[in-house]
Amino acid sequence: MRRYFTFLWQCLRMSFVGDWRYYAWMSVLTVFALLGLHAWCRQLVGGLATTGMTDQVSWGVYIANFTYLVGLAAAAAMLVIPVYIYRNMHLHDVVIFGELLAVAVIIMCLLFVTVDLGRPDRSLHLIQRFNFPGSMLTWDVIALNGYLLLNLHICGYLIYCAYCERKPSRAFYVPFVFIAIVWAVSIHTVTAFLYVGLGGRPFWNSAIIAPRFLASAFAAGPAFIILTLQIVRRYTSYRVGDEALLTLRRIVQVAALINLFLLGCELFTEFYSDSAHTASSRYLYLGLHGRNALVPWIWTAIAFNTVATLLLVLPSSRGLKVLNVACVLAIVGIWIEKGMGLIVPAFIPTPLGEIVEYVPTINEVLVSLGIWAFGLLLYTVFVRMSVPVLSGELTYRRLYGPSRQDNNRSQAETAA
Amino acid sequence: MNGPNDRQDEPQAAAPGSPGMTRRGFIRKSAVAAAGAAAVAAALSPLRNISPDHIPTLEQLLQKHYKEMTPEEMKAVLERISREVEKRYAVRPQVADIKPMTGVEFVYALNISRCIGCRRCVHACVKENNQSRSPEIQYIRVLKMEKGSIDVETSDHHYDPPTVPEHESYYMPVQCHQCANPPCVKVCPVEATWQEPDGITVIDYDWCIGCRYCEAACPYWARRFNFAEPGLTAEELNPNMAYLSNRPRAVGVMEKCTYCLHRTRVGRMPACVEACPTGSRKFGNVLDPKSEIAYILRHKRVFVLKQEVGTLPRFFYYFDERGSRYHEPLDPAVSGGDA
Amino acid sequence: MAGLLLADPWQEAVPIPPKTDVPVWATDTTPVRHPTLKPETVIAGMTFRCSECHDLFPSPPETDRALTQHRHIVLDHGINARCFNCHNRQDRNAFADDRGDPIPFDQPPVLCAKCHGPVYRDWTHDVHGRTDGYWNDSLGSRRRLKCVECHDPHAPAFQAMRPARGPNTLRMGDQTHHPAGTEKTKNPLLIYRQTPSGRDVTHERPE
Repeated sequence: MRRYFTFLWQCLRMSFVGDWRYYAWMSVLTVFALLGLHAWCRQLVGGLATTGMTDQVSWGVYIANFTYLVGLAAAAAMLVIPVYIYRNMHLHDVVIFGELLAVAVIIMCLLFVTVDLGRPDRSLHLIQRFNFPGSMLTWDVIALNGYLLLNLHICGYLIYCAYCERKPSRAFYVPFVFIAIVWAVSIHTVTAFLYVGLGGRPFWNSAIIAPRFLASAFAAGPAFIILTLQIVRRYTSYRVGDEALLTLRRIVQVAALINLFLLGCELFTEFYSDSAHTASSRYLYLGLHGRNALVPWIWTAIAFNTVATLLLVLPSSRGLKVLNVACVLAIVGIWIEKGMGLIVPAFIPTPLGEIVEYVPTINEVLVSLGIWAFGLLLYTVFVRMSVPVLSGELTYRRLYGPSRQDNNRSQAETAA
Repeated sequence: MNGPNDRQDEPQAAAPGSPGMTRRGFIRKSAVAAAGAAAVAAALSPLRNISPDHIPTLEQLLQKHYKEMTPEEMKAVLERISREVEKRYAVRPQVADIKPMTGVEFVYALNISRCIGCRRCVHACVKENNQSRSPEIQYIRVLKMEKGSIDVETSDHHYDPPTVPEHESYYMPVQCHQCANPPCVKVCPVEATWQEPDGITVIDYDWCIGCRYCEAACPYWARRFNFAEPGLTAEELNPNMAYLSNRPRAVGVMEKCTYCLHRTRVGRMPACVEACPTGSRKFGNVLDPKSEIAYILRHKRVFVLKQEVGTLPRFFYYFDERGSRYHEPLDPAVSGGDA
Repeated sequence: MAGLLLADPWQEAVPIPPKTDVPVWATDTTPVRHPTLKPETVIAGMTFRCSECHDLFPSPPETDRALTQHRHIVLDHGINARCFNCHNRQDRNAFADDRGDPIPFDQPPVLCAKCHGPVYRDWTHDVHGRTDGYWNDSLGSRRRLKCVECHDPHAPAFQAMRPARGPNTLRMGDQTHHPAGTEKTKNPLLIYRQTPSGRDVTHERPE
């Protein structure tokens, strides 16, 4: 038990130790996180009128980021599939970073939902009267929190075992890993079903939304991990093989191709049929009645995604420079497409045909940046904590000497 | 932050087992910690402007859901609401919890032949239901529709001609339809909105967490959210209130048309029906075969909006005669027949 | 950092539109007309019962000549252009039914029912025109408005009125009606008014 507390304490200490680049990065993130906190307090005082949301467009940047991040969280655990199902050992050592990313990102998702609530002081009402299984939001609450706990357990267990220099017992984590695979797919499907189930919003009421979510998530998530693994490789002594990066590249490549294909399906369905239900798509891609604020954004996103997919298909993306460009393009393109390209257009025009455009306020942007900064801060701390432990530099024995259990074990071994 | 510059001359990864830190180290660390704490405190500083009304009292935090409250608890809650309203507006209200009548199901009908789009219903509703005036919340939205189209995308909400009705248009006011298969009730995660036995979909304003999922789900754009603290003055306050309908709401909760249940559950008409100068709005108990609403559903060409969404609204539109189109030029009668 | 946060330099005011008062007439529920329902008229400031003059002066059989008195009355009742369709030729204090028998002056609905049968039938069921009061008669009284409380009997078309102002909700942006642009109309009735280039000429009515 004492070991566990020392483990936590050491991890906390490790997160304050690093070189000047680490401090600079953490300071920038802390600044943004505090700005976000400040902006959120302003929102608590003034109500959600400090955001750009209105009765006409009642979900905006917060839910957009939430949707994107749920995808990122789901995909982070998709590293697990190659290793545990296909026994692709290239990724074996880096799976943990995916799981850690999932933890940080899920916390970001929960924060985004909290800042979007009109009455966060009443969050406990969710426990007191839970409209399950009727409301998809309740499914989402269960899914997200369950996923967080799953990943916390898996990561925590594996890292703690490394800290204790104990081989992790398969029974304690392998079943959870398999559950996490299924759960990862389900969190994003459930989030998609939040939107799909609304018959009054024809832009969302389409079966293709859930597959598109998954495809774009599996493109953006591993892309993000490709970038973070290169940072881990550069700034720590942890060994990250090129094969791991190339396997991830393959995942992103296939997912990006599927994403583009599904985009094509959507475009055809909307514009060929040209029914009145396509008003929102028309607003998004072409502008409606002279209002076209989102048109440049979506076409930029499509351009980014197309270029990223093309780059990924070319063999030159085996080289890290091109790969990184493709990943950044994919991440940004999918962020625009899932956020502004999915959430906001469903509200324009309103179900009664009114067009009110949405522009996020500075306050809203600051809160969002603050949550992103906080999440990145968490992830950096997690990586900072786990790399020394996993590589064997930071273990209980090194710090405190062999524990009683270690002595017992070695005595048992010599006696045997 | 004086953190980054300080660390450079300290050994990396200070071994935790080593004997305690130096005095310099301690001062430096506590300076950093203090700076951090100051920054966090400054980040939280806008909260000093929070008005005491916004901070929920223990009583409010422990308040149960409407359906779980005993009559004594409800009485205490109504007392609290009365006290709060009186403190804020210096007007003593009558806040009641009016239960639905048995054997009653409210249905609404609107004659789009007769509606001239004057918007008196909109403002009568606002006056009756204690909505925020700034920012403005109106439950009823009157759509000016183009002749030939029932697609709301061709509608204009912001018409402002010198007189109504206008040429080549007809008017369709839309408010909450109290649907029999309500998507808003289905999606609320905390069951803050539900349908009562008399057909009215209600909201418990003290239970709603403000997630706005119901607002996204409604196909008729009938629900409203309090993005800011409602701006209402004492002169505008309607003191005749009910727990589930028109008592003043707080920031961050949903609201919508409740068919004026504080009036209709005691037998009166909703405010919009009373205000309509052309008598286009009809309301009543559909289970009573002698009511005018039952007559309309029997004899008039009724239809509902967006039927394909499957919400089964309790709000019907119908048209009978030429009605409000009398201002348009008629083709003169052609002689023939017996003349 | 703390100083920057406390100083709050990027205060953004929430653009809550100022409250515009709603005029009293927009929520006034009194009926648009206030007829006296008495067979009286006011000439030169003095009130006379109809019979006071009309018993003295016999009327010609038909009224297809300009009126010398009551010239303020504008008759715009569709094809009902004959005064004696409604007014009782023998007794001006009453109206005339199908056979010329008097209908009391304070019962205009019975008169209107002569021609407007379906509307009258609806009116008796409280479906035409407004009914004030309670929907539940056991809890309160109801009052059905009489025809002439909304309709001027000589020019019965319901008068056009000024609309109350439209919505002015939070951050609704510029809602002046945007032209259709290059989009074709979705209104099936108006497609025949589009020029070949797709321009919607609906609002350019040829006069």
